[in-house]
Amino acid sequence: MVEVALGTALAAIGAGMAVGFAGLGSGLGQGIAAAGSVGAVAEDEDMFARGIIFTALPETQAIYGFLIAILLMVFTIMANKALPVTTGLVAIGAGAAIGFAGLGSGMGQGITAASSVGAVVENEDMFARGIIFTALSETQAIYGFLIAILLMVFGGILG
Amino acid sequence: MAEDLTSLITGLGFPNIEAFLALMFLVLAIFGVIVVISTLRPVLSMFPYTYPNARVRARIGRIFNEKQFQEIIEAGSIEEVKNYLRGYPDYAKYIDQYPLEKALDTQLAENYDLIARITPENSRAAFRFLLKKWDIKNIKSIIIAKEAGLTAEETIDLIVPFGDLTDKLDALIDADNINEILNTMEGTEYTPILEDAIPIYQETGKLLPLEASLDKYLLKNLLTTVATPEDDNTSHLKTYVGNMVDGANLKIILRAKVDGLKYEDIEPYMISAGYQIREWKLKDLMESEDVAGVVNGLEGTEYAPLLAEALATYNETGSISDFEIALDNNVVETAKKISLKNQFGIGPMIGFLSRKEKEIKNLKIIVRGKREEGFTPAMIKEMLV
Repeated sequence: MVEVALGTALAAIGAGMAVGFAGLGSGLGQGIAAAGSVGAVAEDEDMFARGIIFTALPETQAIYGFLIAILLMVFTIMANKALPVTTGLVAIGAGAAIGFAGLGSGMGQGITAASSVGAVVENEDMFARGIIFTALSETQAIYGFLIAILLMVFGGILG
Repeated sequence: MAEDLTSLITGLGFPNIEAFLALMFLVLAIFGVIVVISTLRPVLSMFPYTYPNARVRARIGRIFNEKQFQEIIEAGSIEEVKNYLRGYPDYAKYIDQYPLEKALDTQLAENYDLIARITPENSRAAFRFLLKKWDIKNIKSIIIAKEAGLTAEETIDLIVPFGDLTDKLDALIDADNINEILNTMEGTEYTPILEDAIPIYQETGKLLPLEASLDKYLLKNLLTTVATPEDDNTSHLKTYVGNMVDGANLKIILRAKVDGLKYEDIEPYMISAGYQIREWKLKDLMESEDVAGVVNGLEGTEYAPLLAEALATYNETGSISDFEIALDNNVVETAKKISLKNQFGIGPMIGFLSRKEKEIKNLKIIVRGKREEGFTPAMIKEMLV
């Protein structure tokens, strides 16, 4: 059996949290937006392209989580060195930051996206405003992503 | 730093850092599960409504606005109204298939049918039950047609091809008399109602008792279907249905008081398990001397201010139509409030059905106005609800 240092194991948990929770939020949000888009397309085939745009928006949270997880893995687990416990804890902090921020942001964005799809199919002029409202929920994921990066930089994982 | 951390942890009584981390993870895992569950619950309750609401909102967007109604009102003839409606796919598919009023009813019924099919499980029973309104409309039309001696072809023009009785419609239309209708209906939920109400209709020639019995069956069972709300959505549905029930009860009482009917005459047609106006209150209202007594008896309920205004008009004109309009508007307002308050749940569906009903009602008013001689666009506009 491969011996894994405690710090490295903690970093692995951090990477898992980053992509796991962010992916959960993103998946739920995208599912909600997709359900709304399918309903809109069933009534108006011209809604397909706009439905895809709204459905794609909650994907970003999963991308942020995925990026942070990759960085954590490259700079900790794949670096082939025994990490100190404190660095492992920093990795968990970074993973939790993007994971939970992505969870909330993804679900929120999905709800707004589904609602915007409904508004656009009711009134075409709502498209731009729908995009703006939907994009607002992105900010929480960006905060989580930034904090995760800063934690990694100043916690000694990056750089 | 690592040494400081280790000494801090051992100082707290943990044998080593691994034991501390294990406890910390356990606490974090429990906290995480609580956060995730409490975040997911409201989101998951919205999820089943996302698809139906998008479809419904697309249809809300296609409801005629004031400008479009103005254009229809200004049409020179029924044929022009038909041509206008042919420009809208929702109506076009029925306009050339059926006579105009049947086409409008069929379009409305199609929307009821769609909602009953796409609504989430917890509200499906109520919307499915609501589809029976087309059975009831068809039964009434067939009985009236038979009594008026209309041919099968003429009767078909009155029938809306939706509801649970669609497989019996041909046999009902071909029935030679009311007894044959009763035989064809044998085994359906409507048999006991018709067996009681048809002899009264044949004896008196008045359709009201038959209509009231069928409407009572629909609303009473609809109210039973929504009696135990599981969540916010079904609770809103109960409010909507409840307002329809109260409105129907009040309309019957008011009509009966105008005709000078007594408690015993009205009581069989009342839905005793009213919503805001409960059984004891209904009894009081039925025992009122006249229309003013009914309105005064509603003091303290939300119906008092609505009907007080209509009472003034009634005193001048002797017509109860203002009461009926006020009660219908109250149901429309309730639907509007629900659709605004519950945008991610059942609200849009209730709001849509209410607005679609109104649209069809107005289109029928326009069609009738165009059919009659001497109705100017201004007069027709005045009649719209």
